[in-house]
Amino acid sequence: MALDPALGIPVVYLVDDEDVVRDALAWLLRSRRLLSEGFGSAEAFEAFLAERREPWPGSPSCLLLDVRMPGTSGLVLFERLVERPWPATLPVIFLTGHGDVPTAVAAVKRGAFDFVEKPFSNNTLVDRVELALQASAEAIVRRRAAAAVGQALAELTEREREVMQLVIDGRPNKSIADVLAISVRTVEVHRARVFEKMNVKSAVELANLLRESNA
Amino acid sequence: MNASTETPSPNRPRRTRRALLWAALVGLLLVAQTLLVALTLSYESSRAQDEADAVAGEAAAEIKRDLLRTMQALQALMWGEPLLQHWADSATELMRGHRELMRVERRDRQLAVTEAVDTPLGQPLFKQMARSDLQVDTEVACAAALRMAAPTFSRSYFVPLTGGHGHEVVDLCVPVKNAGQDAGYLVGTFALSQLLDAAMSQRQGRQHELSFVEGDGTRLARAGLARGVGVYQAERLVDLPGVSLQLRADSIKGRPSLIPNLATALVLGLSIALFAVVLLLARDVRRRARAESALAEALAFRKAMEDSLITGLRARDLGGRITYVNPAFCAMVGFSVEEMAQEPPPYWPPEHAEFYAERQRNRLLGVGRETSEAREGFESVFVRKNGERFPVMIYEAPLVDGQGRHTGWMSAVLDVSAQHRIEEFSRQQQDRLQATARLATVGEMASLLSHELNQPLAAIASYASGSLNLLDDGDEATPEMLRQALDRIAEQADRAGRIIKSVHHFVRRREQQRETIAADLLIDAVLPLVRLQARKSGTRIEIDIASAAPRAESPPTTRVPRVVCDRTMLEQVLLNLTRNGIQAMETETPLDERVLHIRVRQSHARWVTFIVADAGPGIAPEVAAQLFTPFYTTRSEGMGLGLSLCRTVIEQHGGALDFGPGPHGRGTEFRFTLPAPKTADSGETSVSLNA
Repeated sequence: MALDPALGIPVVYLVDDEDVVRDALAWLLRSRRLLSEGFGSAEAFEAFLAERREPWPGSPSCLLLDVRMPGTSGLVLFERLVERPWPATLPVIFLTGHGDVPTAVAAVKRGAFDFVEKPFSNNTLVDRVELALQASAEAIVRRRAAAAVGQALAELTEREREVMQLVIDGRPNKSIADVLAISVRTVEVHRARVFEKMNVKSAVELANLLRESNA
Repeated sequence: MNASTETPSPNRPRRTRRALLWAALVGLLLVAQTLLVALTLSYESSRAQDEADAVAGEAAAEIKRDLLRTMQALQALMWGEPLLQHWADSATELMRGHRELMRVERRDRQLAVTEAVDTPLGQPLFKQMARSDLQVDTEVACAAALRMAAPTFSRSYFVPLTGGHGHEVVDLCVPVKNAGQDAGYLVGTFALSQLLDAAMSQRQGRQHELSFVEGDGTRLARAGLARGVGVYQAERLVDLPGVSLQLRADSIKGRPSLIPNLATALVLGLSIALFAVVLLLARDVRRRARAESALAEALAFRKAMEDSLITGLRARDLGGRITYVNPAFCAMVGFSVEEMAQEPPPYWPPEHAEFYAERQRNRLLGVGRETSEAREGFESVFVRKNGERFPVMIYEAPLVDGQGRHTGWMSAVLDVSAQHRIEEFSRQQQDRLQATARLATVGEMASLLSHELNQPLAAIASYASGSLNLLDDGDEATPEMLRQALDRIAEQADRAGRIIKSVHHFVRRREQQRETIAADLLIDAVLPLVRLQARKSGTRIEIDIASAAPRAESPPTTRVPRVVCDRTMLEQVLLNLTRNGIQAMETETPLDERVLHIRVRQSHARWVTFIVADAGPGIAPEVAAQLFTPFYTTRSEGMGLGLSLCRTVIEQHGGALDFGPGPHGRGTEFRFTLPAPKTADSGETSVSLNA
């Protein structure tokens, strides 16, 4: 699977207290030509996060998080991520030991991307990582599209925004004219400008765009 | 048994006393018998004498009375000048009434016989000899009578009769007066023997001989059925006018003889003695019967006791032959009493028979045997009838008979095979429990171990997969990366191997053995497993081993306390305590305070104290109360055997395990002691610590 190089170099963040496992995973990822960055503890990763500027990450990323760690455990870190604005562009894959499966499943239900039970089949893990990166890439694309829509919306005048809302609601021009107490002709002009600014060709396309950007 | 061993010495004074008593009894009896005999004899003689006196007196009086009466009758013959014929008839009549009067004569003044009448009851007196030849005494008496004018007796004289017989007689001369003129004399002749017969009663006649004697002892006449023996005699004078007759009573009883009296006395004495003996015998028999019944009871009791015993009893004489076995012994070895009599005993294992025989010889002959040996007994092996060998414990005591002779040996034989089995079983159980507990510990550690093993395995898998990826899609950097991967794989495989080895080392069941080991080696052995647990929670382990009894002349760091212990078991104790400590700090203790201290101190010359201290929240009192209860646990995955087993192990080593709050009231300290090796100076047993 190829990622759009335009989105930047994908990065895999590894949080595991075991240096050996971290090194081995990094090496494995490298053999699949994936860049990785390791952290020895949840605290180290949180410190790293604190220095990031929004929007982050700028390139497709994923987090491989060990459930059991001395100090802040993987789950606690995940809870904190959930509480703060958690970037959808950073899917979390839990690395679980024997016996941690139920907690991992619970974590997945709360939004984690996946979990992998140790000892894992390595290339399967990398496949999952790539899926996560793919998801991250899509999220970045969505985020960028949403950002573009937001910019377009910002350029709309007050009247144009009112007209757009009514168009999305599926009202015909005549009805819009009645609601806004303007002529049908004026409505048509506003509508054409909205379509132009939002770079869409039909009302359906406009509705989809807005729905996607709000998601 | 006990009665027969009684020594005879206490009997001696009793026997002597008894003999003395018997002698005194016999002596008293003898004295009594002698006195009795003497008294009897003297009584008999005085009685015989008295009797003789009485007879003599009575007879004398009777004779005198008789004579006087006859004299009066004679005087009466002459009253009234009777006619001759008439006088003769009267005289005959008179003589018929008085046997002793043999003849009556009338004489004139010149003493010539005018008339004479002889007794009709016998021979006439003067048939053999003429009256005229025998009248000197008569004449003298008549002269006296005339002179005295009273009847007078003549001296006695002997009148012979035909056939050698004769009568000693006395004459009574009665002067006859006629009108104041002497008219002649009447002479009566009395036979003395007839006088005696008349005077003597039948009774007297049977017991005594009466006789008249002269002064020189010549016997004049006698009467009586038997002759006197001359021992008891009494004499009386019969005073008659003109003459005195001496009367002698002689008892027929001789001197009382000793023999019949002695025999009587002896019979009496013997009877008394016999009675006494019979009494004694009866008493003895009663006592004997009592003793016998007591003995029978004791025998029955002993029999019941022997039969009820499960201890085998065996008695052997000095030659080693079996003289007695009880049913328990027969049951134990399975041989009957008869089978046991053979030589060598069938319960000796054939392979040991020679050795046993030698041992038995030594034992049986061993004079200087210690009694303590018998008390403590010795172990041996016997064989049952079915060929099964079994261990026995034998206690022997000397057999001593009633005379105090040593006649053999009595052995008590205990079948200790069951005991051995139980001991073996118990030991196996203990071992199994230990092993189980070790396995339980490992089980509790399983998730930890799997995690620990997962790390190197995951790494290895990662490197392997990555290497495959590189081989499929290589570039110029591939060989270098592969080399790196293979190095790491080897490294991680080695690490996994070490983990498995440490677990295997811990679980492996070993024979219990005590060894002297330095405390640091003991801790080093479990440290990998301790660190493994500690790492997950970020706990630091701090080990502090104090030097043993530091001295000025040697650097203290070269001395490490040494302990005597079973290494495997102690490693488990340490592992349990450290794991408890680490787990106690997992939840509430801040990360930088998670320190587990392991301290070792030589607390005493003979004891080494180990302290495992954590900084956890401490132990709640209700938990503390049950801490050492088996199968009590506060953890969901725990079996609860840990602490109770730890305490058992420490106590088996002679030490003690306790716990309490840490030095500043924080956390918990578990302390246990182990014995230090026994040496002359424990300070010298230093072990270099590779610092």
